Amino acid sequence: MTGLQKRITIGFLSIVGLLFFSGMVSFWELSNLSSDTDNILKANKRNIELAKEMLDAAHAQNVAMIRVSVFADSSYDSLCRASIERLENTLAVAQNEALEKSFLDSLAIATTELKLQTDNFMTFGRTHLNDTIPDSHPDPVGAKWYNEKYEACYDKLTSAIKNYMTSTQSSLAPRAEQMKKNAYRAVTPVLISLLVMIAIVLMLFYFTHITCVKPVIRMNRGLGDYLSFKIPFTVRGELKDEMLELKEKIDALIAYSKQFR
Amino acid sequence: MRVEVVLRYIGMVMLFIASFMLLSAGIAYVSGMDSSFYPLLLSTLLTALLGAFPMIFVEKQAQITTKESFCIVVGSWLIACLVGTFPYLIWGGEFNFVNAWFESVSGFTTTGGTILTDIEILPRGIQFWRMASTWIGGMGVVMFALVILPSMGRNKMSLSNIELSTMAKDNYHYHSQFVVQILLVVYVGLTIFSTLLLKMAGMNWFDSLCHAMSACATSGFSTKNASIAYFNSPMIDTILIFTMATAGVHFGLIYATVTGKRNNIFRSEVSRWYFGMLLIGSLIIAVSIFSTDIYPTFTNAFRHAAFQFVSLVSTTGYATADTNTWTPLATIILIFGSLICASAGSTAGGIKVNRLILACKMIKARVRQQQHPNAVIRIRLDGAVQENDLLNSVSIFIVVYLLLVLAGTVFCTICGLDLTTSFTGSVACIGNVGPGFGELGSMDNYAAMPVAVKFMFSTLMLFGRLEIFGLIQLFLIKWWR
Repeated sequence: MTGLQKRITIGFLSIVGLLFFSGMVSFWELSNLSSDTDNILKANKRNIELAKEMLDAAHAQNVAMIRVSVFADSSYDSLCRASIERLENTLAVAQNEALEKSFLDSLAIATTELKLQTDNFMTFGRTHLNDTIPDSHPDPVGAKWYNEKYEACYDKLTSAIKNYMTSTQSSLAPRAEQMKKNAYRAVTPVLISLLVMIAIVLMLFYFTHITCVKPVIRMNRGLGDYLSFKIPFTVRGELKDEMLELKEKIDALIAYSKQFR
Repeated sequence: MRVEVVLRYIGMVMLFIASFMLLSAGIAYVSGMDSSFYPLLLSTLLTALLGAFPMIFVEKQAQITTKESFCIVVGSWLIACLVGTFPYLIWGGEFNFVNAWFESVSGFTTTGGTILTDIEILPRGIQFWRMASTWIGGMGVVMFALVILPSMGRNKMSLSNIELSTMAKDNYHYHSQFVVQILLVVYVGLTIFSTLLLKMAGMNWFDSLCHAMSACATSGFSTKNASIAYFNSPMIDTILIFTMATAGVHFGLIYATVTGKRNNIFRSEVSRWYFGMLLIGSLIIAVSIFSTDIYPTFTNAFRHAAFQFVSLVSTTGYATADTNTWTPLATIILIFGSLICASAGSTAGGIKVNRLILACKMIKARVRQQQHPNAVIRIRLDGAVQENDLLNSVSIFIVVYLLLVLAGTVFCTICGLDLTTSFTGSVACIGNVGPGFGELGSMDNYAAMPVAVKFMFSTLMLFGRLEIFGLIQLFLIKWWR
């Protein structure tokens, strides 16, 4: 490649490169932003699912416990144990998946307390019962235990589940703020790349103008003056590369034509 | 004027800046690929491309005119400040455009004022970039570009004439090409020496290097929110007092002293005034704050007084104490120090001791002239007779300097700031000092300033760095013949 051609090609390649680069940066940053948004939404949805599962398990456990303690209905024992197990399993899943584990501490304590109360009642709480009390009649001792011991634990648990649900919801605000920053970071590199590109395009325009356009106009004017008014062919300003060669060739051509006049 | 030639040499400065961005990216990489790695790498690429582009079209030049060299210098400062915002903007955090521009201008002009409320959360890459920008600015972006230009020969001095204080030129008794080498040797040598001393005093390597870079550039950027007060070490304070005071001396004199030449620091009238001012100012402040029981012992009071006064006079701006709590006398002396600043030919800004001496001598000469109307009175500095042109330019400089301080103060008060903050902020910015008083005290920052004030302070910093007339001429370039 010759001088002028090389310069202009490199200039254009720089612009194309920067355009491609800023496009890639934009794509990469926006992909990150999209991925972050998706993760936040997924985490939020999963959190609601887990909280619902825990509330369902706690509710089933509560119903079963009423039957077991207040109505001394031992057929609900298995449901009671299954519900507790379901609650614990869901809590374990939540603990594994949670990014912010501190929200789950009070929930874990409440679950453990409820399980202990339930286990205690199942093991020792029914020793006073005898066969004389029919299933359909409430057991005053069991009802008292339910009201005084169990219900408090149950309330604490449901309250902890609700807290877990709302606390993760409230953590959305800083995460949204982080997303806003990410969005800013996604846009800024692209914006800066574009500004640099505009500067380079302006410089390319200027350099093309002074190295190509201006010399051609001057040579054209000089040649026109020579042909019309026989003014000696001269070109003002500094010429380089092909433009210098062109000027020298025109000089040679004029000198050659003068020989045959 | 050949615009393409100007663009070429500004481009070389950009490449030099890009190399420091790459170095900062390297620091970020070594620090476990922290969050600043990608912003710094991207900034390096963009700056390098911007710098390399004009070189494709324009070949190296044997001669540069004064007008072109002026445009290269001023253009380099402005473009350097602009590209210096790239890492901040891409990284994000507290940096919006106004804040990034302020931080970048503050760095390159070696002012050292910051808009950051929490510096310690910055990743190491960005921390190092702040220091690098201020270190580059300390010697002048163009001065470094000159060193890396292999073929410029005679052009070197035409550029440095504008970059250096006009007062400083006369004090160089070396060949123009040698001046750049002297500056580099002194600057790099002082930075390395200070880094080693600070490391030995208990700082880690990163903090030592950062603080040494900042102190040698008389900038005042720190890696800690509490500045030097964080370290609470008399040894570190002493080392930094030495570094700051030395960085405020004419670099040619430092070179002459180290190499055992005659025209050294001890023989220089300016240096005597400079060190005398530092000593007397520190003593008065120490007595003032000790007498009001701010510090329990005189040694302690002198340590803090000397640190603050040297810090402000050398235009560094480091802090070991909250000067807002000091006495009015101490405050007045510190403001006086911020106005006068250090010697010409150093990295410091401000009116400079040289001009203060000449102004005093002009007043004395005026009085004598009135007493003896026919007397021919010569004003000498370091034994050399000063021409009337130079004396006039000194008077004009001081007047314009004070007018700009006044304009800045008025603007800030219009924007709702109190008088102390407005005045000391303007003094601190035009003198490239950094901290002021009031809301801009030594333990405060510029974060709470309104947007318009931040822009105005940035402009004052540029005025101060370019010796006022450098920036004014840019607006009048069309009429320059």
